[in-house]
Amino acid sequence: MTATAQIQKLDVEAITIEERSPFQVVMRRFVRHRLAMISMAVMLIVFLITILAPFIAPYEIDAVNVGDYFVPFGSVGEDGRVHYLGTDNIGRDTFSRLIYAGRISLSVALLSVIISETIGIFIGAISGFYGGWVDSVLMRFVEFMLSIPTLPLLLIISSMLIRNENLIPIPESVLAFVGKIMLVSPRDARNAVLIVIVLAGFGWLSSAQLMRGTVLSLREQTFVEAARSLGASNVWIILKHMIPNAMAPIIVDASLGLAGYVVAEAALAFLGFGIQDPVPTWGNMLSATQTYMFDKPWLPLIPGLPIFICSLAFNYIGDGLRDALDPRLKL
Amino acid sequence: MTAYLLRRVLQSILVVFISAVATYVMLSFAPGGPLAGLRQIQQNTRFRITEEDIARIRASFELDLSLPVRFSRWLIGVPRGPLVIGGKEYFADTVVGCRKPIETEVINSRGVPETKVVGCKEEVLMKDLVGRRTSRGIMFGDFGLSWRILRDRPVSEVIISRIPKTLQLIGLSTLFSLALGIPLGIYSAVKQYSRFDYTFTTMAFMGSAMPSFFFGLLFILIFSILPKNAGWVYVPAGLSESVRGYTIPLIGKVVAGSLKDRTLHLILPVAVLTILNIAGWSRFIRASLLDVLRQDYVRTARAKGLSNKVVILKHALRNALIPFVTIVVFTIPGLFAGAIITESIFAWPGMGRLYLLALGDYDYPVAMAIFFILAVLTVTATLLRDILYTLVDPRIRLT
Repeated sequence: MTATAQIQKLDVEAITIEERSPFQVVMRRFVRHRLAMISMAVMLIVFLITILAPFIAPYEIDAVNVGDYFVPFGSVGEDGRVHYLGTDNIGRDTFSRLIYAGRISLSVALLSVIISETIGIFIGAISGFYGGWVDSVLMRFVEFMLSIPTLPLLLIISSMLIRNENLIPIPESVLAFVGKIMLVSPRDARNAVLIVIVLAGFGWLSSAQLMRGTVLSLREQTFVEAARSLGASNVWIILKHMIPNAMAPIIVDASLGLAGYVVAEAALAFLGFGIQDPVPTWGNMLSATQTYMFDKPWLPLIPGLPIFICSLAFNYIGDGLRDALDPRLKL
Repeated sequence: MTAYLLRRVLQSILVVFISAVATYVMLSFAPGGPLAGLRQIQQNTRFRITEEDIARIRASFELDLSLPVRFSRWLIGVPRGPLVIGGKEYFADTVVGCRKPIETEVINSRGVPETKVVGCKEEVLMKDLVGRRTSRGIMFGDFGLSWRILRDRPVSEVIISRIPKTLQLIGLSTLFSLALGIPLGIYSAVKQYSRFDYTFTTMAFMGSAMPSFFFGLLFILIFSILPKNAGWVYVPAGLSESVRGYTIPLIGKVVAGSLKDRTLHLILPVAVLTILNIAGWSRFIRASLLDVLRQDYVRTARAKGLSNKVVILKHALRNALIPFVTIVVFTIPGLFAGAIITESIFAWPGMGRLYLLALGDYDYPVAMAIFFILAVLTVTATLLRDILYTLVDPRIRLT
């Protein structure tokens, strides 16, 4: 073998890299985002704990221990079970309620994200794909809704809904299903479902705008023309070409949305217009500690830190996903 | 441009109008209100509230009028009676409401009894409206009377008494956020990838993920409760001034209601709002300045031999601030809304807390008035932002 041939062979090996699927490429980029990976691990643990809530929590969701008010951390109850984080003002085990509350708060956020993204994807895709008057009507409506101050409107709507729970008819099966996810009775689930409706009812607006923008640029690409020349219908193109190709920004939007919904749900509950006690959520647990924080300053930290940690983790995950999915942002 | 402005102003008025209608209708569906308590009292025979009393109270809250009539009177102050044209009265006998509704208990599908209006014993006619007390309509600045918070006092009086407090909070925090946020953003951008930049962007990221209510509680804990319990210097939290005098180590005796007292109470809420604002704004400034610093004309300026300071402050910053101006304009009504949470944590007697109080206490005229003000502010700010875009950046054309 001559020297040139050797060099040529080396060259080929040097410049040939292992072929990777797009998924692998994205995963590699995502894994490199250290904070996002830590956040993933943290959220995995949080989700595991809340999924296994009935097995981990020493007490039931609303078990009241008469006489054991504000017992210190780690004290043992009459029946030998441990109050890891003490009890609240009417003797309910804080640790158990915290876990159940996490399950409820996270379910509200997840349900809101799923509903709002689904509506947003379809409205946005239809608006962007068809254009014309459909686009005008839909987007004017979205702009109209977005130009109303959100928090005051959310407060009005939820204050009306929680006082008049039967205003919106909700099928019993939905209530039973949500109740099963959140481990509460269908009657208590109604409140949570209403909050999901309120949150998702506003959340889809920005997702629709995002989706519309993405579809507008996708629509002009050649593969759409190719699909059309093969006889694909509009519905087929939207379902099989638009939506899958627009998934990247939607996934990022969803993970940032999760952070937003966890905070929004907690904020509503904190202000007294969200899910009401006795159904625990991190927000209403935090709100309840306000009265006692002057004597027991550690109390707000117990429900407050999970809210902050989840919000931060979802934000980092969203950030990592954006870096991984959107190569244009990579420098 | 004129046509565009005209269209936008009309659109904005439409948005305010529609959202006012929607919220008014929603709140009129909300149960409670001034009659909820009465019904319970009525069942207690000792008080002897007659049907006539109820009708009178309903009339004083205008609850006897049908929804469109009530809304129109609330919005523009009409109808106040029959239409008089050339000495003749029109619509005098038009039914506008029901003085004494016939109510029955109905068991609904979930087995809960509900009161349902099935008919009307005595109707309200247009001519009955003559001489009734009415507001001039919120479109003309008259928000009607408060139902509960200050019963029978004008809503405007209730709100105006709270506005200075909210303005204090928002004005000071905006000022501090600008004074601190812009330099921090610039410094972070100029020293990109330095240790300062990393620490700063991480903190700003955390700040924007931090829920404001938890942040506020943490501040009360760290700067008020814990040091107070330990006997150190602390900052008072809650309300805008204290009821009794108090003594703080190092600062000394503070007289209740004095300037010192009020200043001390401002520190925490303003700090919370400022820090959360800085987190968002300085990140924006940083990104926008980094964008500008990469452009050709900045390189030209450097090549001319200008000092770094002149290049950044005179050439780059001016252009970097263009998008920022519009952001600031747009956040100001958002600050009013955002102050709802901060005011509620610090029991700050401003407009945001009044709004929560009004919603919680069934004082719907007050709640509606504040919502209306917020909607007008937001819509105006949106309009102003879009106009500012064209003023600061002539490349953007409005159509």
